[in-house]
Amino acid sequence: MLKELLMEIDNADFVSKAVLASRLNRPVSLVEQGFEELVRMGYLAEDAGQNCYDLPCGKCPYASMFQKEPLKTWSITPKGQNLLESWRMAG
Amino acid sequence: MSMTIALAGNPNSGKTTLFNALTGSNQHVGNWPGVTVERKEGQTRYGNQVYRVVDLPGTYSLGAFSEDEVVAREFIVSGNPDVVINVVDATNIERNLYLTTQLLEMGTKVVVALNMVDEAESREIHVDEKALAQRLGVPVIRTVASRRKGIDELMEAAIAVARVPLNGHVQLSYGESIDKRIEVLKGFLQGGDFRYPSSWLALKLLEGDSYAKKFVFENSNLRDLEEFSRFWDEVAVHEEEFQLEIVDSRYKFVGDITKDVVRRPGVAVETTTDKVDRVLTHKYWGMPIFAAIMFAIFQLTFAVGQDLLGEWMAVAIDYVGGALEGFLVGVNAPAWLIDFIGNGIVAGVGAVVEFVPLIVILYLLMGLLEDSGYMARAAYVMDNTMRAVGLQGKTFISMIVGFGCNVPGVMATRTLENKKDRMIAILINPFMSCGAKIPIYLVFIAAFFPSYGGLVLFSVYALGVAVAFLMGKIFSKTLFKGETSHFIMELPPYRKPTLSNVVRNMWDNVSGFLARAGTIILAVVSLLWVLAVLPLGVEPYGSASILGRIGQFIAPIFEPAGFGTWQAAVGLFSGIAAKEAVVATLGMVYAGVEAGTELVAAIREVFTPLTAVSFMVMTLLYTPCAATLGTIKKETGSAKWTLFSAFYSFGIAWVLSVLVFQVGRVLGFS
Repeated sequence: MLKELLMEIDNADFVSKAVLASRLNRPVSLVEQGFEELVRMGYLAEDAGQNCYDLPCGKCPYASMFQKEPLKTWSITPKGQNLLESWRMAG
Repeated sequence: MSMTIALAGNPNSGKTTLFNALTGSNQHVGNWPGVTVERKEGQTRYGNQVYRVVDLPGTYSLGAFSEDEVVAREFIVSGNPDVVINVVDATNIERNLYLTTQLLEMGTKVVVALNMVDEAESREIHVDEKALAQRLGVPVIRTVASRRKGIDELMEAAIAVARVPLNGHVQLSYGESIDKRIEVLKGFLQGGDFRYPSSWLALKLLEGDSYAKKFVFENSNLRDLEEFSRFWDEVAVHEEEFQLEIVDSRYKFVGDITKDVVRRPGVAVETTTDKVDRVLTHKYWGMPIFAAIMFAIFQLTFAVGQDLLGEWMAVAIDYVGGALEGFLVGVNAPAWLIDFIGNGIVAGVGAVVEFVPLIVILYLLMGLLEDSGYMARAAYVMDNTMRAVGLQGKTFISMIVGFGCNVPGVMATRTLENKKDRMIAILINPFMSCGAKIPIYLVFIAAFFPSYGGLVLFSVYALGVAVAFLMGKIFSKTLFKGETSHFIMELPPYRKPTLSNVVRNMWDNVSGFLARAGTIILAVVSLLWVLAVLPLGVEPYGSASILGRIGQFIAPIFEPAGFGTWQAAVGLFSGIAAKEAVVATLGMVYAGVEAGTELVAAIREVFTPLTAVSFMVMTLLYTPCAATLGTIKKETGSAKWTLFSAFYSFGIAWVLSVLVFQVGRVLGFS
């Protein structure tokens, strides 16, 4: 499953765990665990995002006007890229 | 005490509930030796026997990646429990069975408590526990720990398993390559005096388990054996591949079982979120749809905020100002105080606060959009458009944030690991029209374009984005060449906005807006008022005041842009302190204009539609506010880039506003 998951992530324009679960014919919770495993093994990196950091922006009316919740992004690490490349070459 | 029962399972599987059901008040809490992980132990009586029950930390797996995992597996492998009750959440069985496979790998005696079956069945999830038991090779007992259901059957099964020798249960296969190497490693390990089962240790070594590697090499001289060394060097080359294969094999094992033993209601292949996203995140249509949504929001803002709510705020401010002035006259307050309150504070701060109804509607609509989950899609389509013009990276995240305020927008660039991406993001962020500039646009829209408010506001934002994209492209080709980072966004599912949430956020934001007006803007206006009435003896708010002289000094810069008056100049100058101060300053310096004290009327007197547009272009793009510049300095650690940002943005603003005015004049606009 992890191999298929990593390949799906590599081909995806965006991450939707529900869509990935549907494509892999697995429950969403298992896909979530798959993400955790790939991060743990160093193939995927997660950036949970953060707004306002160490500023007291909470009360400012403008800080959260357009994006209150941080946007999470994922990137395939160089280790993950090497693995994908080796799979592609192996066919 | 006859035997020890360990409870293992995922967090939130009901393990602790089961522990409490078994032990009641006969439990004590401490810590596992040497770590900060809580240890819970108790006793349960069943029949005539008392059993020791140990509640292991809740974990999703038994690797060596956290103290919880190490503690749990150490106890199972070397603490010698007589039986392990593996609590499995029936509503999330696939995820829970991953731990079960690892328990089976350990060769320990296991009974599965299939917990929360009532909740599973309410969700129409049916698990055939007999089939599951057969596939796993261990007893599976249905329980509802919260209602003490199945506890007796569970204890019966646990005691029965504990009493009989382990007859082996289902063995996982990890693929021929790994299975063969496990056998070879077992051969090497069996000669040693390890407290762990050799098959488990062999598996862990191939999986690259750091704890297992350290343990084996510190407690044996295997590394000295030439045959082992050759074997191990070959394994090391494939370590990552083996690790992935082993983990994947476990998931395959779980997947194959649950496919046969779990029945669920049919899940739609395509969810509502997916269907909506196919349209809203479309490669070509996504950006136009986003633009249309923002345009609609701006139109609605004016339709409701201005047309429906009317000018009650301006009337209210006029009333309050008049009442205050009357009160001060009545108590024989000094003239300077009356002037300060009336023509300074009320005219200045009031000019900003006058647009609260529009701000309220805008915050409400933006809150609805954000709460629905759409803004993540907006960020995604912006990212797509940026990639299309050769910009990549997480720049769009800081740009989206920058629409609210450029300070967190600049700080959001921290998420960019690539230095080049980060610098570009910092330098283009100020072109995102922040929330503080909205009152400026609203004044000029009210003066000259009252029927086209939505269109004008949308155009201003669009121009800012366009300039940001263009400058980003130029920077990426010139000053900051190099590789860009690759990533993908996670789009959360859509959700129904909750009115209470939206209204609460709107209220927080509006009260924050008013608080800001009452503090920062008040402070700026107060300072400017002092500059506007000094030196004593000159006409207050006139060109001979300190403020007027500052304005006259810098006004010629703006002549080519069509607004070369000292009042417009000091307005822009004050915007470096805080952008709303532009409106507050204009409100103050135009307070005494013959046409009336109302700022909008005053603006109509001194500007034209064309110069209004060029002024808005200037305020959109020119030097960021002091807080943003301070943040740029902090984030770049460079005074050079901070000054560059201040001057180059002014330069671009000047060029464009001059272009707008001069071309407009040539084309016959006024």
